Amino acid sequence: MNTETKDAVIKVENLEKYFGDHEVLKGISTEIDRGEVVVIIGASGSGKSTFLRCLNCLEDPTKGSIYFDGVDIADVSVDINIHRQKMGMVFQQFNLFPHKTVLENLTMAPIKLKGMKSDEANEMALKLLDRVGLADRADSYPSQLSGGQQQRVAIVRALAMSPEVMLFDEPTSALDPEMVGEVLDVMKSLAEEGMTMVIVTHEMGFAREVADRVLFVADGIIEEEGTPTEVFDTPKSEKLQNFLSKVL
Amino acid sequence: MNFVSFSNWITTAPSWVASLPEGLQSFIFQLFQTFVFADRWKLFANGLKITFIVTIGALAIGIVIGLIIAITRTLYSNYVVTKPPFVLKVLNALANLYLTIIRGTPMMVQLLIMGFVIIVPKTDLGTILCGILTLGINSGAYVAEIVRSGLMSIPKGQTEAGRSLGFNYIQTMWYIIIPQAIKNILPALGNEMITLLKDTSLVSVIALRDVTKQAQNVQSLTYNALVPYISLALIYLAIVIVLTRLLAVLEKRLRRSEH
Repeated sequence: MNTETKDAVIKVENLEKYFGDHEVLKGISTEIDRGEVVVIIGASGSGKSTFLRCLNCLEDPTKGSIYFDGVDIADVSVDINIHRQKMGMVFQQFNLFPHKTVLENLTMAPIKLKGMKSDEANEMALKLLDRVGLADRADSYPSQLSGGQQQRVAIVRALAMSPEVMLFDEPTSALDPEMVGEVLDVMKSLAEEGMTMVIVTHEMGFAREVADRVLFVADGIIEEEGTPTEVFDTPKSEKLQNFLSKVL
Repeated sequence: MNFVSFSNWITTAPSWVASLPEGLQSFIFQLFQTFVFADRWKLFANGLKITFIVTIGALAIGIVIGLIIAITRTLYSNYVVTKPPFVLKVLNALANLYLTIIRGTPMMVQLLIMGFVIIVPKTDLGTILCGILTLGINSGAYVAEIVRSGLMSIPKGQTEAGRSLGFNYIQTMWYIIIPQAIKNILPALGNEMITLLKDTSLVSVIALRDVTKQAQNVQSLTYNALVPYISLALIYLAIVIVLTRLLAVLEKRLRRSEH
């Protein structure tokens, strides 16, 4: 058995995505190993968010394969719902359920989808909330929380399903500057615990600090990839140099 | 004994009535004739029962049809760039046909067709069911559009959050989208319920003895239109006022999560 592919959680092969006639992803192949933290950077419109959203098929891939735990989830005959339970996702706009309390936001999926008992789910949810310092807000509604608090809840809501991978789609882009830190801290601690993470972000400092590997996406392909040091300090492609000169 | 004359009644009436002005005397007589004589209030009470049964039954059918149609049409409209599956295309076409026919013809005509062409009920129960079904099918078309507007009012991110946790489309709708949509559409849905209640007065054309039909009966028994019909109007008005209040309370409770 090939040890290199053995612990790849996600393996993407020649992924293409069209919106109508517009080709957004032009053939992306990569592997994400268990415990790896991969940060995806790129200009807006480069396809980086679309790529991330293809990983759990929120966007249906037009062509190519996405193997998750060895199953090609890009195949329409696969029950994607089962696999999504193991892939947590955090959105730019938090997307908490406004009609549910914070606690219910966390317990809903484990109860309905995994058949967890409600006491058990509540206990687990409180532990998770405690971990992000929000146990005292369990009975609040999302609208009563700040943006940073909502995003922290959104992260633990995804964790409540005990996912194998966490996908982050610009998790700090909609936050006021003073709240970015608290969310990044939670993500950092997740990374330290060995969670497999794929993160689309504009926070270059965070990427440099936390990422095992950085993917630079431009015009629908992976233009360049490498360790943070390689990508940020010795960028090879002109596009990446250009991009970095604008954001750093 | 179906009729009592004023001169007969005044001899049996309490003495204080005789001391009132003549116009008032005759009004009290008409009230007596409409409600008290031969226990005619029971006609109104029985009529009200039918009105309520038809309203609630039709509302239930209307909401079920409305939800199904609305979800079908919303699902269909999600396919913008890719082609929808064939089954969905057929369902959507049927939904559109239904909406066009129901919203394009008067409720009265629909009742006449259902009552005298399609169902032709022979029993009382059959007539009630025919009334419920017709009104329910009619109401469903309006509920569908209300529900659809509600579903569309929920941000796409809510669906994505539900789906990303592993809920399938129906579960996402049921646990996440519909509860929020209901809150947004409650005023419009309440309006539809009130309209439906008032529209039940049309079921008298298929000989259903609702409260309107009973008022007509009393009018023909007493040769007096003013009191039965004004009373009828007041009965509807009272129910609508109570319903409006109840809906306001419900709306307030559902808004709990928005502070």
